[in-house]
Amino acid sequence: MANVVPTRSEVLFLFRSLLRTARQFSDYNIREYTKRRTIDGFRQNRTLSDPDSIASAFSHGKAQLEIAKRQAVIYSLYAPKVKSIMDLKPCNSI
Amino acid sequence: MASKLLASTLRQTLLSKFATAHHVRPLSTAAAVAADYHEDTEGITMKGVKISGRPLYLDVQATSPVDPRVLDAMLPFYISRYGNPHSRTHLFGWESENAVEAARSQVASLIGASPKEIIFTSGATESNNISVKGVLHFYKDKKRHVITTQTEHKRRPRIRVEPQMNGGGQERGLRSGTVPTPLVVGMGAACELAKMEMQYDEKRIKSLQERLLNGVREKLDGVVVNGSEERRYAGNMNLSFAYVEGESLLMGLKEVAVSSGSACTSASLEPSYVLRALGVDEDMAHTSIRFGIGRFTTEAEIDRAVELTVHQVEKLREMSPLYEMVKEGINIKDIQWSQH
Repeated sequence: MANVVPTRSEVLFLFRSLLRTARQFSDYNIREYTKRRTIDGFRQNRTLSDPDSIASAFSHGKAQLEIAKRQAVIYSLYAPKVKSIMDLKPCNSI
Repeated sequence: MASKLLASTLRQTLLSKFATAHHVRPLSTAAAVAADYHEDTEGITMKGVKISGRPLYLDVQATSPVDPRVLDAMLPFYISRYGNPHSRTHLFGWESENAVEAARSQVASLIGASPKEIIFTSGATESNNISVKGVLHFYKDKKRHVITTQTEHKRRPRIRVEPQMNGGGQERGLRSGTVPTPLVVGMGAACELAKMEMQYDEKRIKSLQERLLNGVREKLDGVVVNGSEERRYAGNMNLSFAYVEGESLLMGLKEVAVSSGSACTSASLEPSYVLRALGVDEDMAHTSIRFGIGRFTTEAEIDRAVELTVHQVEKLREMSPLYEMVKEGINIKDIQWSQH
């Protein structure tokens, strides 16, 4: 399968899908990481101009989205009842 | 089409409902030993300590959370591709063997080795035994002493490693025992990911390390970094807090999962032999806390850890007669202790 250069709207759609999937992670750390890595990854590849590089970055992103979708389901199945203290209301322990 | 729809409905249902569902582990024998353990949506009670949420994890050292991308690579080998990689007579065996060899190449590529030089073992302890005892045995006719450092495991060039256990002759006879395909696949995936993400992770973790140290130093005096401050692994910050007893500090930091000393001795209360080898005074070694930072650590966690640590150290110092004396200008080292 040859790599096809994506349109601007396809890229934006992938970006939003990744962020939406990131928010579904029940685990605080994985959720924050997935959001951050998505934003940083797209920012880093913003300046790509070579069609081959754009196409391969896009297909890498799509593969990552598939992984994230599967793993968000798996994480939700084993989510602990008790949330991370980072997901609770601001620090009241002190 | 119908099955696709079903899958997507199921996924939605699972995501929305199961996230709050209660987990009962039907096969778990933990209930018998977990009388001391209680968990509900209000919090966790364990070992007499009640915590409202799961602590933030700053013990990322040898033991770190599995990356979901790594888990994603491993799962097929638990679910459908469960063949023994040493089985030569069927597809299950062949596909597992391919997966193990692919993982061997992934590991080799990360560290710049040849796949032939990669031997899968159960972990660091076994690897060290194989190589150190291999050297001993290889030179036993000519040389009789091994000199090593207390702090690190030096790589030795051109060692002839020797098996410590004998059996089926897997891993070219150097390490008998069935190779666990899912774990090896996970190791390979983790190495490939590390190669891809190393630069990104390093930069980020370094900035979290600085954030932690600066945050603590801004609010507290008498904070000592154990080991070199410049030449150190970004994911580690080992600090000593003068006039504070490390175990009391750890006990007070129930919402931050950290360790004292180095992992090798974390089951005992002895200060880390690594710290002592680095020349850290015995009294300071007793106050050491090891913060481990990883790929999934956030800025907010570092800030929270700083806040909680500072609060706890201040509280303990307020109660400490030693700290009071120091503030009054008495040199602790000059004190003549009686009945010692």
